[in-house]
Parts: sequence; structure tokens; C-alpha cells
Amino acid sequence: MAQELLRAEHITKHFGGVTALDDVSLSVDEGEILCLVGENGSGKSTLIKIISGVYKADQGDIYINGNHYKQLTPIESMRQGIQVIYQDFSLFPNLTVAENIATNEMLSTGRFVVDWSEIYRIAEDALERVGVSLPLDVEAGTLSTADRQLIAIVKAILADARLIIMDEPTTALTQKEVHALFDVIKDLKERGISTVFVSHKLQEVREISERTIILRNGKKVLDRDASELDVKTIEYHMTGREIDTSSLEFSEPRTDATPLLRVENLTLGRGFYDISFELMPNEVLGITGLLGSGRNELALSLFGHLPPESGRIYLEGEEMTIRSIEDATRKGIGYVPADRIREGLFLPHSISNNTVVTIINSLLTRLGFIDEERKDEVAEDWIERLDVKTPSGELPVESLSGGNQQRVVLAKWLANHPKVLIMNGPTVGVDVGSKAEIHHLVRNLAKEGTGVLLISDDIPELMRTCNRILLMRRGKIVDEFVRERTDEEELNRALVAAGGNGSGTGTTTAG
Amino acid sequence: MLKSIIKRNEFITFLTIVVLSAVIGIINPTFFSVSTLFNVLRASNVYAIMAFGLLLVVILGGVDISFVAISAVSSYSTHMLLLSLGYEGGILLYFIIAGVIGIAAGLLSGFLIAQFDLPIFDLSLAMVTLWYGFDLFFIGATANFDLPEGMVGYYGAHILQVQDPVVGQTGLHISVLYVLVVGVLVWLLLRYTTIGRGIYAIGGNREVAIRSGYNVKAITMIVFPILGLLASIAGVTQGGYQRNFNPVLFIGQHLDVLAAVILGGAAITGGRGTVIGAYLGVILVQLINRALILTGIPVEWQQFTVGVILVVFTAVPAIRARRRKRIGHTEESEKFQEI
Repeated sequence: MAQELLRAEHITKHFGGVTALDDVSLSVDEGEILCLVGENGSGKSTLIKIISGVYKADQGDIYINGNHYKQLTPIESMRQGIQVIYQDFSLFPNLTVAENIATNEMLSTGRFVVDWSEIYRIAEDALERVGVSLPLDVEAGTLSTADRQLIAIVKAILADARLIIMDEPTTALTQKEVHALFDVIKDLKERGISTVFVSHKLQEVREISERTIILRNGKKVLDRDASELDVKTIEYHMTGREIDTSSLEFSEPRTDATPLLRVENLTLGRGFYDISFELMPNEVLGITGLLGSGRNELALSLFGHLPPESGRIYLEGEEMTIRSIEDATRKGIGYVPADRIREGLFLPHSISNNTVVTIINSLLTRLGFIDEERKDEVAEDWIERLDVKTPSGELPVESLSGGNQQRVVLAKWLANHPKVLIMNGPTVGVDVGSKAEIHHLVRNLAKEGTGVLLISDDIPELMRTCNRILLMRRGKIVDEFVRERTDEEELNRALVAAGGNGSGTGTTTAG
Repeated sequence: MLKSIIKRNEFITFLTIVVLSAVIGIINPTFFSVSTLFNVLRASNVYAIMAFGLLLVVILGGVDISFVAISAVSSYSTHMLLLSLGYEGGILLYFIIAGVIGIAAGLLSGFLIAQFDLPIFDLSLAMVTLWYGFDLFFIGATANFDLPEGMVGYYGAHILQVQDPVVGQTGLHISVLYVLVVGVLVWLLLRYTTIGRGIYAIGGNREVAIRSGYNVKAITMIVFPILGLLASIAGVTQGGYQRNFNPVLFIGQHLDVLAAVILGGAAITGGRGTVIGAYLGVILVQLINRALILTGIPVEWQQFTVGVILVVFTAVPAIRARRRKRIGHTEESEKFQEI
């Protein structure tokens, strides 16, 4: 039996009148990989913050290495070897990798003069200890997400971490990078370093977890060896209900009609080459590929953000040029971005305002002012139709959970009645329950005749929603799959193979 | 990459200086002379000293415009004080007294900013008015031309004398040494001290700097007295050189200095900037000012031209960064370029 590293007992925490954590206990053994799973608002973050000393628990006890703590401070938590890697990785984007790695160590010496050879020595040693290689002289901000994450891990190890808590570490990683990260985690395990892996990507949880703890509404609902769990059970405990994974209603695309969207030999110098495809009415067409395969650029081109250099685009049989986002919107193309926070929403503004923003011109009174009454009507209608969970449309969008925010983005584009809807990673960072609902919505749209272009690297998602799936690699479409004649495994293999010899990261893992 | 990008920004500044010099030289061949070189360097000195101080604030992530007023108030009040005491000595005592005033004024700003988390720019807006107002109201309203005996010769204190074929005897003023010393000290501070690295760190990501254990308050608090000290040195130097002390010295010239720092590759959003870049930026601004005179373009165009060049310098890196971002710029996307 491995030595117990951390034990938290009967932790309860209230914020105002809300109970964030209700009598939750957890323990981590040396070298154990524990997954902490739960929907948004289930109390995962609060629990992490209590373990790392950022929040004080109202009730409960924490034991680290056998020492009892009633009130844990961040410094004490770190001193005991608990390191949290937040989603922003806590890096200085303007400083070199070496300096980022060595900063804490350098500051802890309390010296005033900076010894650069020492910085490089510390950084080199640390990279060697973790068994990764990164360029030391490069600015951290220019690296890929995966590489920045590695810096954060290296920093944690350098601080003599015995338990590393990773908060949603795979959100922005490609599949290949996720596997590289898993190798690092397993390698840490070999050295007796434990990992708490917070995620709601269940496939990944299944792959890396040794033990899984599920939180729901602040309560621990499950704590079990991973080998006894399957995705369905996890989903059930996360949401408290059966997720409807029965296959969705599939309307066949109308093969006789004029294609809604036809693209011929579309090329954008550094993005993609010679792309041709057709999107029929009632069809959901998936486009997949690794990060950097050109799928992003293609989506942005069709939406007018990156006008293509050559090739033709036909909308309902008529050739058109898309030079700007305005062009695309006017002609009936909608775009749901992956990064809804930055690209899709005005966070501090009300849900109503966000919903009507694409059709604001049609809501003007004769004097050119906004007709507030009609605006509210339209917004209320969409809030209801998409089941956005909010007490009022007047609340700011930032008050919503991720899944609900994504629904507002959808509402915003659907209000404009697009003929073609481009969805770029529509469920990134959305919890399972909302995800299933978004998938339903996609199918419903298709049923009503909209053509949906779904760009994603989430294979189960593609399989559940798409009629056909195109695979991109190095800027070209290299393969096409028809839903009925393929399965997740084949797609997965194809996607990983599409990575070929060039990965987006300069990472190598030893051991 | 950090180095190569910044070097590149500096290199562009340097290149612009070279091209601009060539153009002026072609239009007006008298431009190529030792006297011009010395003049540009001389005129740059006071701005460079201030630019080095301002650079620290900009890297930290702020913009300060009150340093020009600190230059004025420290040098003018020192002069009026020593005058009333009948001082007849040299410039050194000026530097010491003005320096103390400059540091004190800087400490006040630094303290308010660090202690109450005031926005740097907003406070400096208040301070620039406050110090010029203080100067005019309490110290005096007109420029004073009575120099102590020991300072009369400062104007001609050259470290190098050369016979120039066009203008005759010409010299390199001693203040170029101040630039050298201050420049090296600021460079050492930025590169080799935890304060300097902290300034870059705070400019890069303030939250993380706090979490990493940098004493953000102390570092913020120390940057402003340094700027105050350098501003006072610039003020005294300028007064001694132009042989009068002026209560509204450098008024309106904060933008020239800020422009120079930005032209030298510092990011207005913080986290980036170098001493050598700031110096090149100062030279460039001075060169533009001179170019307009030498090429016969009306002086009124001076500000306009500096503005245009600033627009170009702000736009080029931004557009480049945007293009990089749009195309994703992963190694993957670069690789299939080669196919």
C-alpha cells in the first residue's frame, strides 16, 4: 500500500448562502493519479483552492504528509509539495523559457544580482529532470499551449512538487499533445509524484485515471477505482441523470437539391490548398484534422475573416465572393466560434443584447433607434427556444455557465436565420449535459433545412452529429468518411495518422 | 525569439536612422559633418536621460508624462534657492539638490501608485499639472538668466574639440558622458538585478509576478524615484547648457520622449523595451527635428512627421503579429509550406 500524501476530511465551504462543498472527503496516495470530475459549478475549483490553501474551509480537516492543518495557507501548501497548474499556466509571455522556469528559484535565494548562467543551469537541470526538451532562449508566449503547459509542469517539479493539481489541462491541446501530457504524468508517477487531474473530458479521464472522484452540486457522489468505471457511469453520476446518447434523429441530406454551399479549389496561401466540397440542405458536414491542419483557417475563410486567395464559393448555386464578415453574414452564413469568450460574446452585456446583435438592423424604429420592446420579445423567444438557463435576459452573459454561454452564441446566429451555419468546436469546454443538448440542436437545425459545417476534433461528437466527415491534413482534404460506413476507432486512427511526422509541439518525452 | 524580435525592432529603428540620414544628406550635403553629429548627440542627451527613466515605467506597463514637470520643478527651484543663497560654485551641487527633489517627487508618485493602486497614467496627468503649477505659483513665473560664476562655462564644457570645415570649431558636450553612465546603469539594473527582472515580469503578467514572489509594490515604488532623479539630471543639464532656468522647462515635450521610447521597440502595453532601443529612438526623433530644418520643410511639420513615423512604427509590428496569429502559426502550418 502506497503512503498517503494528502487527506481532506469532511470539507464544507459556504459562499454567502450557497454551499459550494458539502462534507467532501478525499485522499491521494503517493504516485497516484486521481481524476476529479464534475460539471461546472460542482465544486471542483473550490476543492482545489481549499487543498492549495487559497480558500479556508468552513469545516473539515486537511492532513498533508501526516501533518494536521485546520487552516492551510498557500505558502504552507506549497512548502508541503502541493502545486497547482492553473489554466493560464502562470507564465510570463514576454520572458524566455529559461527565465520562466528559474524565476521562483532565483527569487528564493534572495539575492539582488541576477546570475544568468545560474538561470540557464537551473532551467537545463529542471528540463532534464522531467525528461523534456524545450528551447531555453525562446519567449514563452510564442510557444504552443502544450509547450507552455510543460513549462508549468517543469516549474512545479522544480518547486519539489509531490502532488501536482492540473485544472482542465487538456482544453486547448490536440490529441497528440494530450498523449504526450499523459506520458509525462505517468512518468511523474514513476517518481512517486501524484497528480490530481481535473477534467470533464470523460474519454481522457478513462484513459489516465487510476481513481475517479465525481462531485455534483458540492457533494461527492462517487469515489472509485477507474477500472470499475465506464463513460456512461461517469456521465450518469456527473449529471445525476441518464444522458440521452441514443442516436439522434438523422434526416437524410437532400441529394437532388442544389447544394447550399459548394466550394471549388479554395486556397489560402499559408492555410489550406485546393479545398472542394459540397454541403447539401439538411446535412451536417464534419471537418476534422489536427490543430494546424488548416481546419480553423478554412472555417474563418468561409466566414470572411480570412478571405481566400483563389477558388470559388457558390451559395445555393450562385457564385459569390466573401471578402468580409459582413459579406458572409448578409448572405446567410453564420459562425459559432470555439472561443466564445473572445470571439463570440460581449461578456459584460446582457443576454438579450448579445442575442440580437446580428439582427440589430431589423429591430430599428423609423427614427433609427432600437425598438426595445421588440428586442426583448425576440431575445426572450430565443432564450426559451434554446433553453438558456437564466432568471432574466437582462443579466450579463458572463453570469452564465459555459454551456449556457454557448447557447447564447448559437441564439445570436440562429436569430439571423442562416442558410449555412459554421460551427467551430461548438462544445469545447462545455459540460456533458449541455453538450448532448447542443448536439440535439445541431440535428434539429439540419432537420429544418440548414446546412451545418461542424469543425471539431472530438470524434464522438462528429460521429453523433455528422452525415459526412472530411479529414484535413496539412491544408488539404485527404479523406472522406460517411457516417454509416465508419466508426470512432477508424476515425481516431485516421486523425492521429494525419499528424504524420510533424506535430505542433517540440516536445519529446523520455522514459 | 524575444531577443530576435526586440533586436529586430531596434534594427528597424537603426535602419530608419540610416535611411533618413542618407535622404537628408542627399538633399543637403552640409548635413554630413562632425558638427551635425555632435549637435544631434548633444540635443539628444537630455531626452535620452529622461527616456531611460521613462523606459522603466513603460516596461512596467505604465505611461508617465509627469517627468517633464519634475525636471522643471527640481531644476528651477534648485536654481532659485541657490541664487538666493548667493551660490557661485559649479553644477555638481545643482545635481545633488535637484536630484533629491526629483527623487522626492518620484517617491510621492510611486507611493500613491503602489499603495492605492492608482492607474499610472491618470496620476501622472494630475502630477504634470501639479508640478508645473507649483513651480509657477510658489517658485517663480519667469525664466532666470543669472548663472552662478561656476556654471557660466558649462555651456562649452566639451570632452572633444574638432575643427569642422563648415562651421569651424565644434565640440562634443560633456553631457554625452551622463547618457553613457546612466544608460549603462539602467541597462545593468534591467538585466542583472531582481528589480529589473521584476519590472519585465510585472509588465508581462502582473498577477503571475505577485504569485511568483516578486515584491510588486516595492518594485513599482522604486521605479518612479529613479525616473524623478533622471528627470532632475536632465533638467539641470538643460538649464546649464541653455544658460537659463525655466519654470516650464520641457513643457509639452513629454510626447517626444514617449515617442522615442516606443520607436525604440518598447511595448506600450509593458514587458518589452531596451536601453539601446530607447537611445536609438531618441536619436531618431532628434534627427527628424533636424531633418526638417536642414531640408527646408517648415518647422510646423515637425510634430506631424513624428506622428506619421509613430503610426508606421506602431502599425507594422501590430500587423505582423496579427498576420502571424491569423494563420495559426503552428509549426505544422509552417511545415506544409514546404510541400
